[in-house]
Amino acid sequence: MTLTDPIAALADDCSFIGYLVGLAGVGRVVHTLAGDAEAGTPRAADDFVHLLLGLASLGAGIESLGQGTVTAAQTTRPTTTDAPRWLR
Amino acid sequence: MNAEHLIGMLAELERIREATLDLVEHAAPQLLPAPPDHVEGHSEAVFDLLVGARRAVLGNPAAARRLHDMLVSEGMRYARTAEGALLRDRLAHSNAVENLRRVWETVSLNVLDGPAESNAAPTAWVELLADAVVGQGLDEAILSPLRPEGFA
Repeated sequence: MTLTDPIAALADDCSFIGYLVGLAGVGRVVHTLAGDAEAGTPRAADDFVHLLLGLASLGAGIESLGQGTVTAAQTTRPTTTDAPRWLR
Repeated sequence: MNAEHLIGMLAELERIREATLDLVEHAAPQLLPAPPDHVEGHSEAVFDLLVGARRAVLGNPAAARRLHDMLVSEGMRYARTAEGALLRDRLAHSNAVENLRRVWETVSLNVLDGPAESNAAPTAWVELLADAVVGQGLDEAILSPLRPEGFA
């Protein structure tokens, strides 16, 4: 396949939703790490902590996208044409 | 030169980058440790993941640094919210984060920290590879007496 000879069904193999689910999972892992806070010793928040916060923020943003989809799915009747596109 | 030629050149540059990284790891084998004999099953997958992460960072320092800076900036933005500030404080007090920090520093060899020109490899990355490749033949027993006390 080249740019001038694309495969029409290539999008069906796209892992984009998988990337989003993976990032959301990493965000939840960050929250799990924070659950060990009771036993830890105080330490200033450095770049590493802010990096973890960035992952948590990304995960929260992705989960909010999913919640919007759930709400829409509950309030509207899915059609046979658009459901595969969004739910894959 | 048309678009396909340019894209082909980018693909070739990527192949050269991988080949160069192979050469660097060959010249400095301590950067790519062999798996321990007793590692198997799930632990083997973890070892492969960690080695892969190190190779990704060492092989793509400028891109890794940009991703690192982007995540840190997003983390600082999130920490300015009430929810983010609470999570930041819990992370800063967490022993699990300290353990993860140790893993990350071991894997990345801290090459993403410190100064870096925009869109360029961090200084720490250059220094690490110079130490690993150039300094491999130096005899520590000869050098250590010349090093003033307190110098790493």
